[in-house]
Amino acid sequence: MKTTPLSRRTFLRGAVGGTAVALALPTLEAMLGARGAEAASTGPIFGIFFWGGGLPWHDGHGAPQAGHPDLWTPSTTGKDYAPSELLAPLAPFQPSVVTGLTPHTAVPDTPPGQSDGHMRGFMVSMTGDRVRPEGFDHPSHTLTALRPTLDQYVAKHPAFYGPESPRFRSLILGASTARFHDYGHWNAISYNGPDDLNPPILDPGQLYDLLFGVAADTAGLKRRALLLDAVMEDAKSLSSRVGAADKQRIEAHLEHLNAVKNRLDFSGEACAPPGKPAPNEDLLAKTEIMGSLLASALACNMTRVFSFMLSSPATTHVFSNLGVPNDFHATVHEGTWEHARAGIMYQMQAFAAFLGRLQAVVEPTGGTLLDRALVFGLSEYGEGYQHSVAEMPCVLAGGANGKIRRNVHVRDPGGNYSKAHVTMLRGVGLETPSFGWNGGETSEAFGDILV
Amino acid sequence: MVQRRPHPGRSRARWLGFSAAIAVFGASLTACVGVIGDADEDTTEQESLVLAAPALPRLTAAQYRNTLVELFGASMPKAPLEDDTKPFLFYNIGASSTTLSEFGVQQYEESADAITRHAFADPARRAAFVGCEPAAPGDSCVEGFLRRFGRRVFRRPLTNEEVSRWVSVSQTLADPSAWEGLRLAVSGLVQSPHFLYRVEVGAPDDASPERRKLTGYEMATRLSFLLWNQGPDDALLDAAEKGELDKPEGIAAAAERLLDDPRARSAMQAFFRQYLDLGRLDGIQRDPAAYPYFTPTIKDAMRREVEMLVEDVVFESRGDARSIFSTRKTFVNADLAALYGIEAPGATVDTFVPVELPADGPRAGILTLGAFLTMNAHETRTSPTARGKYVRERVFCLEVPAPPPGVDTTLDPPMGEPKTVREQMEAHRTNPACAACHTFMDPPGFLFEHFDSSGYYRTVFEGNLPIDSSGDLDGKPLANARELATVLETEPRVGRCMVQQLYRHAQGRIETKGERLALEDLASRFAGASFDFRTLLIELVTHDAFRYIGEEESP
Repeated sequence: MKTTPLSRRTFLRGAVGGTAVALALPTLEAMLGARGAEAASTGPIFGIFFWGGGLPWHDGHGAPQAGHPDLWTPSTTGKDYAPSELLAPLAPFQPSVVTGLTPHTAVPDTPPGQSDGHMRGFMVSMTGDRVRPEGFDHPSHTLTALRPTLDQYVAKHPAFYGPESPRFRSLILGASTARFHDYGHWNAISYNGPDDLNPPILDPGQLYDLLFGVAADTAGLKRRALLLDAVMEDAKSLSSRVGAADKQRIEAHLEHLNAVKNRLDFSGEACAPPGKPAPNEDLLAKTEIMGSLLASALACNMTRVFSFMLSSPATTHVFSNLGVPNDFHATVHEGTWEHARAGIMYQMQAFAAFLGRLQAVVEPTGGTLLDRALVFGLSEYGEGYQHSVAEMPCVLAGGANGKIRRNVHVRDPGGNYSKAHVTMLRGVGLETPSFGWNGGETSEAFGDILV
Repeated sequence: MVQRRPHPGRSRARWLGFSAAIAVFGASLTACVGVIGDADEDTTEQESLVLAAPALPRLTAAQYRNTLVELFGASMPKAPLEDDTKPFLFYNIGASSTTLSEFGVQQYEESADAITRHAFADPARRAAFVGCEPAAPGDSCVEGFLRRFGRRVFRRPLTNEEVSRWVSVSQTLADPSAWEGLRLAVSGLVQSPHFLYRVEVGAPDDASPERRKLTGYEMATRLSFLLWNQGPDDALLDAAEKGELDKPEGIAAAAERLLDDPRARSAMQAFFRQYLDLGRLDGIQRDPAAYPYFTPTIKDAMRREVEMLVEDVVFESRGDARSIFSTRKTFVNADLAALYGIEAPGATVDTFVPVELPADGPRAGILTLGAFLTMNAHETRTSPTARGKYVRERVFCLEVPAPPPGVDTTLDPPMGEPKTVREQMEAHRTNPACAACHTFMDPPGFLFEHFDSSGYYRTVFEGNLPIDSSGDLDGKPLANARELATVLETEPRVGRCMVQQLYRHAQGRIETKGERLALEDLASRFAGASFDFRTLLIELVTHDAFRYIGEEESP
């Protein structure tokens, strides 16, 4: 594990040692230095757009699912493919898509239930590995990841940001508050590692305050930052008194304190804030609002990594606006195909609205945020009726600074899902000899998409 | 790059313990009931109590708030905190195993800043809070307060090093005044991991080197978080200081005092909410056109009803705790009285009144009340499987494993003429792959078929089809939910399940194999006390398994 220097300054620590060192604030200000506006960045942006419920099932998913048309796979492959019904909303953004992918990662027989598409498909597409077998419990749906999800893999990769990380290594956002369970995997998609989730910010007001809510009292913010040095001293004394597993949790807490401290140091230097949004619980409208705020943050280089959970894995969102009476998890389970079609189509419209916010921002270079970004669109399985992990969706939207060829359809029936991971990681400039674990390892990328 | 591996030593013990517990409590089960665990699992009887290594629970959001409201007053600002997780039903288990996110840490910082600003903003309020007026940064007023207040926050006296650290902070950051320095020091204390995490180190036990005895302060913390869902008060810390919590008698006396306090009631309600999985009510939606009794206020009423019933059994009547599954007594507001079709004089939307459900009616016990019936049903139809699964898992603590890979887990959608849920589920019985588990879950679930997805009693299905609520439990035929309630009145597994769930909640983890004797012991003491829940709590907190911890395994 990477060790983060806890403090660049030692004077408070000196005070702790017994010799009280009282410093007047102007001196502190001088020590902190004035950090100018966030430096303009031209580096690639990596994002994840996740929707719950997979795709409407069709013959390609298995025998029990047969009898319905495939509304996802485009009828042609290669450059400038003919968009399918469900990809049509995304067509203005010219996303590349890979169809036919499936997990190659093996799961053990015990504890039982790890092959459940919700869990296996989710983990493989988000992490390249399986669910952690230890402690997995299908009946109570208790599960965790073995590895960081792709957003965190990128955000913490030493080569992605280099030495100067922005104000947020990543922003973890979402829209629907419906949850299959009120814990863990079922209301968050971003993991740092086992039992270490990043719950998404679902409230536009909260996101606005995080990004643009700057306290007028900047000297007060500096004092709050300095206070965290003492808190970290306390944490260190605790860390030496607990066992190995808990020490890891305390060390993560310390790292987070350090990040929060740095943020307090840099507060008061934000870009011109957009207007504060009004609350809106309509899923599509909320996606646009969150997308707008995110675009503002990306445009002023507050971060270059995000994930957006439109709806959670196995979402229980009720699309009553579409005339779908049951929650979406129950809807797909019950085999109500037309309702599944309506719910997925609506989620694709939300995906389009989201990409539209990134495309709307034209940067000083003349390109848009979407030109600079690679947005990975995915769901937790191929379809929810039988939880099939065949034919999982995989969208690569945006140009990644010209490293991703746009508007290409690659068809790879039964292909290893981690080929998409290798493609994307290389696309955002990370050297990736191979990716995937436990049978899912691959060094292959999709050459038709990766420039 | 950060790459975390599963906890090497301890997690294995934790999860193996989980499987062992199922093996113990599931001794007489059918093949369907899973024993989840590693292949090398050894199920031989344990000779003696082997204690688990301590967990390091972070305070849950409720524990954080309850504790600070006690210290800062009810007007304290309530900033948002990261949601707790609850693997295996309990927030305490999530608090012992999950890592807080970066944003969660930021929320702690913002919360501490908001709370202390509020507490120190008004000169009269801050003077009352601190009890003296600092004349200079870090003076005796400041130091005295940090010592006194720090003891409550850290749940033990501060070390001299800690005192000097926080006094220094109050001096260094005393801009523009000594008050501001003190405010920031207080803000630092409530952001300290010594407040946010419950540290248990214990002291060596001369009699048995493989275990450590929790110190008085650690016992005070355990007792208080279990029985009050918040940190200890001064009286409890004083008891710890005097050594009163080093002996079971002293612990019992302290626990009795805590249990006499209203704070114990909400703490026990919180336990029962988790054990009974009432959080699932939150996500429930019903179309008012289809379910006219499902008013906007009824979900809260359903939860409140169970809480009041639990409170009555545990604290008021102190009856057999298992009777929550069979009693005809309940508490209704106007919404629930309408749903149940009963008279409840004095009930309004906001006022609950005690009622006796009709002796010849269909309802008795919480499995016939709104909460259970609603949260274990779909929006447009009931789910005998979900209801039966709840009976197995939540009431009996049995494990129903996942369907085997490749099994079609869906029902044929209704086509053509209307079919009852039972008819749709016929495949569960006739398809051998389904039958293995569904014959375990569905038959008790069918007993509730007279109650629709909102808990309303119906006499016919849609389309005038007759209702058949017959089912069975472990092969014993039953006609309906009332008959099941009668069985549950004396069912031994119900009491043991309560003990197991309380134990998990109290320990913040799954019981280990080495603790099975403790569970057996507690279950028999519970039975010996005619299933008085308050007695069970006293037995638990004075038990060796609660007072000692094992040595931390080396990785």
